[in-house]
Amino acid sequence: MAFAPMGPEASFFEVLDRHRESLLAALRRGGGEPPSGGSHLASSSEVLASIENVIQDIITSLARNEAPAFMIENRSSWENIKFEDSVGLQMVSHCTTRKIKSDSPKSAQKFALILKILSMIYKLVQSNTYATKRDIYYTDSQLFGNQTVVDNIINDISCMLKVSRRSLHILSTSKGLIAGNLRYIEEDGTKVNCTCGATAVAVPSNIQGIWNLVTDAKFVLIVEKDATFQRLLDDNFCNKMSPCIMITGKGVPDLNTRLLVKKLWDTFHIPVFTLVDADPHGIEIMCIYKYGSMSMSFEAHHLTVPAIRWLGLLPSDLKRLNVPKDSLIPLTKRDQMKLDSILRRPYVTCQPFWRKEMEIMADSKMKAEIQALTFLSSDYLSRVYLPNKLKFGGWI
Amino acid sequence: MKGTAVTVFEILRFLIIHWKCDIEVSKGVLLEGQLVISIEGLNSKHQANALHCVTTIASAGSLFGGTVLKKFLKEIQSILPGISAKLTWTSEESSYSQDMTGVTPFQMIFEVDEKPRTLMTDCLVIKHILRKIIMVHPKIRFNFTVKVNGILSTEFFGVENEPTLNLWNGIALVVDSQHYASRPKFDTIESYCSRIHPVLGHPVMLFIPDDVAGMDLLGELILTPAVALCPGPKVFSNQLNSISSVSIFLYGPLGLPLILSTWEQPMTTFFKDTSSLIDWKKYHLCMVPNLDLNLDRDLLLPDVSYQVESREGDQSQNMDLQGQTLLLFLFVDFHSAFPVQQMEIWGVYALLTTHLNAILVESHSVVQDSIQFIVDQVLEQHHQAAKAQQKLQASHSVAVNSIMSILTGSTRSSFRKMCLQTLQAGDTQEFGTKLHKLFCEITQHQFLHHCSCEVKQLILEKKDSAQSTEDTPDNSSLELLTDTSGQAENKRLKRGSPSVEDMRTLYSARAPSLSEAALGGRAPTAAPLTPSGREACETHSRALAPGRASLGNRLEDALWLQEVSNLSEWLSPSPGP
Repeated sequence: MAFAPMGPEASFFEVLDRHRESLLAALRRGGGEPPSGGSHLASSSEVLASIENVIQDIITSLARNEAPAFMIENRSSWENIKFEDSVGLQMVSHCTTRKIKSDSPKSAQKFALILKILSMIYKLVQSNTYATKRDIYYTDSQLFGNQTVVDNIINDISCMLKVSRRSLHILSTSKGLIAGNLRYIEEDGTKVNCTCGATAVAVPSNIQGIWNLVTDAKFVLIVEKDATFQRLLDDNFCNKMSPCIMITGKGVPDLNTRLLVKKLWDTFHIPVFTLVDADPHGIEIMCIYKYGSMSMSFEAHHLTVPAIRWLGLLPSDLKRLNVPKDSLIPLTKRDQMKLDSILRRPYVTCQPFWRKEMEIMADSKMKAEIQALTFLSSDYLSRVYLPNKLKFGGWI
Repeated sequence: MKGTAVTVFEILRFLIIHWKCDIEVSKGVLLEGQLVISIEGLNSKHQANALHCVTTIASAGSLFGGTVLKKFLKEIQSILPGISAKLTWTSEESSYSQDMTGVTPFQMIFEVDEKPRTLMTDCLVIKHILRKIIMVHPKIRFNFTVKVNGILSTEFFGVENEPTLNLWNGIALVVDSQHYASRPKFDTIESYCSRIHPVLGHPVMLFIPDDVAGMDLLGELILTPAVALCPGPKVFSNQLNSISSVSIFLYGPLGLPLILSTWEQPMTTFFKDTSSLIDWKKYHLCMVPNLDLNLDRDLLLPDVSYQVESREGDQSQNMDLQGQTLLLFLFVDFHSAFPVQQMEIWGVYALLTTHLNAILVESHSVVQDSIQFIVDQVLEQHHQAAKAQQKLQASHSVAVNSIMSILTGSTRSSFRKMCLQTLQAGDTQEFGTKLHKLFCEITQHQFLHHCSCEVKQLILEKKDSAQSTEDTPDNSSLELLTDTSGQAENKRLKRGSPSVEDMRTLYSARAPSLSEAALGGRAPTAAPLTPSGREACETHSRALAPGRASLGNRLEDALWLQEVSNLSEWLSPSPGP
């Protein structure tokens, strides 16, 4: 395997290797990967048949002079979500639903838009072509109104038909970046090597299609912000800490970025760490990678990596490193509300160290960006902070 | 107005006032009874080309107590001395024993010589007056018979068992739309609601100009407007139903039709300006007075009528002749802290008939505000409902196209076959047609069920099944007489559709407080609100104000149903038939 051996010596990764062993042991104890629930990768004929069944139900209702309606699961309702340590947030088996009626002026439009998008999906699947959600929106932007409407309906359809979005032939636009010790081949045969020095590779749009993934990486580092990611690239972090993989979703991650992280974990079982700002928003982003989001809980099994650990920036680091107060930012009211919300979430209960860090933040009423570490030196993050954390197991 | 018609109306007016005031009919109770008016005309022996007309007004049953008969006679003779007619009274108190309620029948006769053409006009005027009376006194019935040189014509006026809306002070508005406007042609019966749905406005106090000579009132004049569209559509067409005309009905105290002293002139100065009550520019409408008020029609003739001349921006002259009529009822009532004497009512009525124009001009601002508010509501409501309907139809169009796209694109013959069989369609084209029709039907079904009348109908029909025959209309006392010239006014409802006498109206919840509305932002030069007036207004405003918030956002769903469900504490159901 021809990777440039620029990283630290092998002893540097002892703690990491032990951590990986413990993760693998936990996996073995858990009986391997959890069974996939919720949506699955359906074949084209299955998808077409599902859509035709929906149409048949509608026509049958009409023939009985009843106004047809869709029963949509309430994806964004906490009462329909449960937490499992091995999976994260996922939908319960018997969810509450809401009715999208065709004869109510309030919901008739949504009813029609669902049918419209179903008909578009039908054509995509039949013709074995793909489109992004953005493409769908632009087919008739006036009809749809805004992108969010399209996004929600597509998720509702995926949830309703119990089929992954990929199987609907709808792709999400990737915005994430990868760098480091990784290569793979895309569905169309393109060979991708992420070891590109100061540049990064865009997360591919067809994660399920990539194959022949190869890596020596000792860890995967998820970076919250693009600014931090670029900083680390500039500091040649991937080579200094080689072999490793860096990935960023540029804020709240898109589906493909999450799928890629999941794929890396499922394929290699190497430790995954997050580097986020010491603020509620960063913590929430970290939780999305680790436990999943409420809105996508119906696809939790494909998206979550409960093994993720919080590497930094920890609120306790701020005190430990004597970060000056003028580098700190007071929590806004919105921050407070978000922090309170996260503290109430079910998964925090089984993360006492995370809880403690969040309580430190709540007590101090202060937050900090990763860039706060530049007060020590401009390359403190890549030269001292991260290497020390990785070497001595400074993750929770 | 002519001799016979004037006299008949004066007598009827007096009867109603006397009935209400002296018999101590409680405020919330509707006057009930039947009167027979007959005119017999024979060639006059004293005047050439004239008819000697003997007019008889009699009660078909009991009206009021014999103990006050003498007083009644004295008073009516003092009120009517100016009428150039011979007035005789036949009191049959000696031959009728008083029943348990202490009432006896009566009969009045007067004679007038008139030209035949004048008599004809008078008959039309009388019929108009009778129609106006029964529209707010639904339990009063009239038999009107005209016999000229042996040729008999009889007409019955009554609206008992028709749906009404209880107002106040013992009057109720008949809400059957057939009285107000003819149904548009070529529209299915199902498209339009058979009832109007009046919206009551906030009552406002009227100011009497200082220079208006008249009695010193120990109370206030209160105007309460009510607005409704007629006919009220159940199902809205693709295009917004346009308004083609406006009909204004004037009523004075105790629901007496306000026949202005300027009857023979087209309309008062105030009403000549079509924007005096409502700002039509808001709706891009241009209204002109309609002077063609034909007495000879079966519908209730408005006191003032406007028609749409054009719509701004609409270059075509093709006005929607079959559009809806905006009905505006102006009820002017008299409120006093003291018991109101009938002479007071008589005086107030005279004041209104003579000086209504000046009073309305003086009170223009508050009156316009009150009316404009409810007109805005009614039209906005209508507009929103039409928009909701259009939105629904647009959505269904998308749904149909999407389903067709999947059906025609499917390569699975079993799926296609099943779809066609389910709708019993021979091919995809027929399937598409049926699919579209089915979606339209569920749209109509949605709006049908949201017409308040349908809901009330359903509720009452459920009640009916549990009740005894007490709700069954008792027609034995009614004599439905067909006339040779027009249709009988008494329209019975179908069995299973009992009269709805406790319908609720929509109130303007955002109406300003009474003092604001009454004062209209100006300091009145007249005496400030007396306790009686204030109390009356507050009673009204308490009744109207606890209405609902704006309908704007809730019109999308169950429009009429929501309005019907609002209850006002002061609207009490009148006794059933």
